[in-house]
Amino acid sequence: MILVHNCISVRKKERREQVSRVTCSHIVREKKVSALIWYLTDIRSCRMHRESYPFVEDSFSRFPSQSNIYGLCQAGEQELLAATLKGKVVCFRYQELQQKIRPVAKEVQFTYIPVDAEIVSIDAFNKSPPKRGLVVGITFVKDSGDKATPFLNIYCDYEPGSEFNLESIAQSCLNLELQFTPFQLYHTEVQCDDGGRETVFLLSGHDQRIHLYKENASLHQFEEQPVERLFPELQQLPSNVLWLDVLSIAGGRRLSAFGCQNGCVGLALVDQTGAGEGGQTQTHDSCSASSHDFSCTIPPLVSRRGETIGYNLLVTSTIEMAVVYRDVQERGLSHPVCLLESDQWDAVLCALVIDLDFDGQKEVLLGTYGQELLCYKFQPSESGRDGQFQLQWRRSFKSPLLSIIYLDLTGDGLRELAVLTLKGLHILQHTLTSTADLVLERLAQRVSALTVGSELESAKAQDTKEQDTPTKKEEPTAHTPSN
Amino acid sequence: MRSLNYVQRVSLDFAGTLFPHAICLGDADNDSLNELVVGDTSGKLHVYKNDDSKPWITRTCVGMLTCVAVGDVCNKGRNFVVAVGAEGWFHLFDLTAATASKSDSSSQHEFTSSEDQKPLFTQHIPANTKVILISDIDGDGRCELVVGYTDRVVRAFRWEEPSDGSDVGTGQLVLLKKWLLEGQVDSLSVNPGPEGLPELMVSQPGCGYAILLCSWTQHDSSGSGEEAPATPGSEGPSRDVILHLTTGRIHNKNVSTHLIGSISKGSKEESSKCGLFALCTLDGTLKLMDSSEQLLWSVQVDHQLFALQKLDVTGDGREEVVACAWDGQTYIIDHNRTVVRFQFDENVNAFCAGQYTCKEGKNSPCLVYVSFSHKIYVYWKVELEHMESTNLLRVLEEKPEFKSRLRELRVDTEDPAAVRSLVADVLYKDSQT
Repeated sequence: MILVHNCISVRKKERREQVSRVTCSHIVREKKVSALIWYLTDIRSCRMHRESYPFVEDSFSRFPSQSNIYGLCQAGEQELLAATLKGKVVCFRYQELQQKIRPVAKEVQFTYIPVDAEIVSIDAFNKSPPKRGLVVGITFVKDSGDKATPFLNIYCDYEPGSEFNLESIAQSCLNLELQFTPFQLYHTEVQCDDGGRETVFLLSGHDQRIHLYKENASLHQFEEQPVERLFPELQQLPSNVLWLDVLSIAGGRRLSAFGCQNGCVGLALVDQTGAGEGGQTQTHDSCSASSHDFSCTIPPLVSRRGETIGYNLLVTSTIEMAVVYRDVQERGLSHPVCLLESDQWDAVLCALVIDLDFDGQKEVLLGTYGQELLCYKFQPSESGRDGQFQLQWRRSFKSPLLSIIYLDLTGDGLRELAVLTLKGLHILQHTLTSTADLVLERLAQRVSALTVGSELESAKAQDTKEQDTPTKKEEPTAHTPSN
Repeated sequence: MRSLNYVQRVSLDFAGTLFPHAICLGDADNDSLNELVVGDTSGKLHVYKNDDSKPWITRTCVGMLTCVAVGDVCNKGRNFVVAVGAEGWFHLFDLTAATASKSDSSSQHEFTSSEDQKPLFTQHIPANTKVILISDIDGDGRCELVVGYTDRVVRAFRWEEPSDGSDVGTGQLVLLKKWLLEGQVDSLSVNPGPEGLPELMVSQPGCGYAILLCSWTQHDSSGSGEEAPATPGSEGPSRDVILHLTTGRIHNKNVSTHLIGSISKGSKEESSKCGLFALCTLDGTLKLMDSSEQLLWSVQVDHQLFALQKLDVTGDGREEVVACAWDGQTYIIDHNRTVVRFQFDENVNAFCAGQYTCKEGKNSPCLVYVSFSHKIYVYWKVELEHMESTNLLRVLEEKPEFKSRLRELRVDTEDPAAVRSLVADVLYKDSQT
């Protein structure tokens, strides 16, 4: 990969948009990009031993037809929606029945999806407060023989009481015909003119553009709005965007990254608050180097995670090793660290950055077309500041991995790993016995900390200092320890 | 119904074809680690060890091998490998020595001597064998060999040798008894009866089974050569076969039925002497019963079940029932009727389940599928933490200290949302601060 340049091109818009502040902008050229991830830098000393695969498969749901890399999304707290090629959408959740929980994969009949439709992507979000309700977006291509027509269906119920009822949401549809072939359907929260927050859909297409769909409050329906106003960094794109990821960070700012079909990765830091009435900053430069001839086989991915210490960007590509750009906020795309051997199992199709072993440090998970799930952990080097990512473990699957999500499906506070493969959906659960031991150990630590803490409290009785680890349930300040 | 996907498997090369009973798992070389023994239709016996795709040992037998077994058939305190052909040739192999010679000679001379390859002992017994069992069927503590035939006959043999001869080769099989049944015998098994004594059970078509009485225990305990209980006429079989037809909807009275007995109940329920046994039919009925004929559960599936095994997949000492269908659908069902499904992706030629030493040098529960594509697949990591889906809170609630910790932290134990967010904080936030 070649780092093209660190270019800042501020383009004044003739329209009412005002330029406020440009922080940084980078375009990087990779051979073929296939995934991007934001995540938080948190390098601290970590144990060097190789850990073994910590999951147990709890269930597998076979799908009637294959899915794709845009085919899985979280819907609500504890549910997943998976779209299969032949127009079927499966809702997966754990059902509690007679003191038992069991996995249920049920087909949801979303209306206005014709029988000859092929679903491209699916996404869902809960509306930003104070609004309520679940919104599901599905893009599909209806191929009636002579001409393929793409559509975006947005499902959302305004009837009070049924805003979160998937069955009734599936019946109220807004059908939008598209002028482009859709790729990834993504959602993110934006700051509105009135200061409120709102969640919008972003849909990338083969017309080298990203389209924005926002709810029109007065009409009670979604409509396409110009993307430039809210996302100035997402215009004048170098190529078709195959994967996009946006992360809101402290100070009302936003990190946007996108991976393109021709191998470009775009990165922008945008000040969302801006000056005055929704003024935004255009922060990206078109790709200058000669474009790589690139047939779109495996699209790129982005996913993210982050907090305050610093942000890393994980970029995976179809034929090269996955790369983590360290501390992009400060250093841009100048500090890549390769994930060694990540190109050994065919193209990397999906990636996730999560804390799998509960040590506070995040691991990198990669899912490959070569049917392997890889887990990397950052190992800081003894001498220098830059460490390496080491392959921690890998696990084989029966078919190529398309998408992974980490969420709490079973409602116990512990999250499960949902892995979408070509054949169906696997739910991997942490080994419960060892996790239970860990919970008990940490609860014991909390109890002892609490005991010490409240002894101190009672000593300096009137001290009204803020609790440093505020957890709602433990408010020991006023109480004496139980004895 | 919970279904899951096992992926950790090894594939073994197996070029031949085989009969469904010509495969078994057992400790063939007496090293306390189990091997996989497979016999094919050309008379080759293959013994696989660990995850090596090539057979550890091959032996040549006479005729088409229809059934193989590993057990202490000679009552010498160690296991032998038994391979029986359709033509009635019984072969006995002692592979204990093979370990030593194999390790000594390593690979320098593969075929050391034809003497080593030969079976320890061969004998011709009546032909048309179908299924064999090595087990103590009369409760005397010594193993017998039971053979089921395609002509609805079951014969029991005992290994006898002259008292002075210490060499195995001097002994021979002696017929103890012959039973004649009404229907095809697809499986043989032993199950503790209501009194705790072993009972020989055979499956009968239409989800039925029959208990075969060992009459020699009443008349002539020595069995020194009284091998004519069948000759007097038809009254013998009718008296010594007790046929049981299980109730329930049986669509086809002639449907092929399999049976497995002595399903371990775990240590807790040892007080009851009744043994558990399971039945399955080709039209998809599965039943678990105990020897007092009480039905524990019945499951109907829409797959053609052709093999029935038992395997402890949860490691709690209780064995689950494992049934496999021709199309690879495999059901694992525990005593409470909790079902876990696994789909093997090919059609299955033969199936067995049991302990096998595949990886890590120790026995682990395995599922073994013989495909039609010249491969045997051994799934070596099939253990489950729980048969049912469960979550962390349920596991924690079983631990008394969890409740007391919650009380100390002043968390309402009855408020699931509070407990849940505490667990989430403890796991995902505590380590960051």
